[in-house]
Amino acid sequence: MTFNAATIHADIAALLPRLRRFARAITRNREDGDDLVQVAVERALNRSEQWEAGTRLDSWIFRIMKNAWIDEIRSRVRRDQLFAPEEAGEHVGDNFTEAHQQRMAIQKAIGLLSDDHRIVIGLVLVDGMPYKEAAEVLEIPMGTLTSRLARAREALQGLLSDQARTVA
Amino acid sequence: MSFSDETLMAYADGELDDITRHEVELAMRLNPDIAAKVNRHKALRSNVFNAFGPVLDEEVPQRLQASARSGKVVHLDSVRPLRAQPPAPAPERKPRWSWPEWGALAATLVVGVLAGSLGLRGSGDASALALIDHDGPLRARGALADALTQQLASVPGDGPVRLGVSFLAKDGSYCRSFMTARTAGLACREGNEWKIPVMVDSADVSTGAYRQAGAQMPAAVLGAIDERITGTALDAHAEKAIQQQGWQRKE
Repeated sequence: MTFNAATIHADIAALLPRLRRFARAITRNREDGDDLVQVAVERALNRSEQWEAGTRLDSWIFRIMKNAWIDEIRSRVRRDQLFAPEEAGEHVGDNFTEAHQQRMAIQKAIGLLSDDHRIVIGLVLVDGMPYKEAAEVLEIPMGTLTSRLARAREALQGLLSDQARTVA
Repeated sequence: MSFSDETLMAYADGELDDITRHEVELAMRLNPDIAAKVNRHKALRSNVFNAFGPVLDEEVPQRLQASARSGKVVHLDSVRPLRAQPPAPAPERKPRWSWPEWGALAATLVVGVLAGSLGLRGSGDASALALIDHDGPLRARGALADALTQQLASVPGDGPVRLGVSFLAKDGSYCRSFMTARTAGLACREGNEWKIPVMVDSADVSTGAYRQAGAQMPAAVLGAIDERITGTALDAHAEKAIQQQGWQRKE
């Protein structure tokens, strides 16, 4: 193993919690999320020669993961095996505190968004990535990023208001 | 003062420049509706962030840790020549040209930007026009860097570099096209440096005399400009203003 390879392994390992969090948000499901992280990590290591030292490793892997997820969505549509959004936030456990309920409500609402909207929310709001890096991950111009993000937020806000009305 | 919802969102996300941020803050104090909109964006941001926060505290499954540790790099290394990269490159080591965004233009890129052969006779350190950091992109140096930073296209100097158009790129940086006696290219400001995403040898269409800026800019450079530009090129007044603020964006 080369010096670079050893470094990239350690750096990727350190990114795992962040990758899992983003994957959880976009796949709506723990198992799918971890599968996606695994696919992305393996692809990244297989193509580690494509990563340019000095550029952001995290952006690069998030991009690989986003692309892997889009591939997965397409193949699922072909197989007609898309998850029902209702699966989102199913592992409730025995924690019924208000904060927990709110987290579940938000996860559920995010699960109802379109894939494009869920991915941009996943990058900017779940991961906290700056716009510029999120645009790089998505391979879109900044203007497209901000308008897509604004629409995604609007949709999410709408879903949360609907939920609140239903509960009330 | 009114702001678009996108601007208020960008404020909540901490993405605005200082001036616009202060304007939004002033508007928030004067107009409760604006303050309420901003607070809604902020609340959504923090609620979404908190909704997934606990994932970070979960133990990472063994299978993921294992795949990050092993992957298939070792396997690849065994079938492919080792890409051992010494910490400091040997001087004669060939640069890695890898700008994915210019993939289509790669064929026209000049590989190797060389001191001396460029016919530069500028002041300062003109021995190198540009150089490649270890595994990094090409960056302007010497007379080229000086010209990019100081020279205005509207006021041609008698130095070795002629500036073409200056414009705001889609990624928010300022870019400038340039020509020397034998090369033409595009440079974009990044931090305190000029990164050069494209540079071509134009010696075959020029015999040392400078052409009018933009008149015969090689297609590769024009294509690079088209790919990046937002809006139109800066006019002389705007160019001067941006030059005075160090080629950094201030709205």
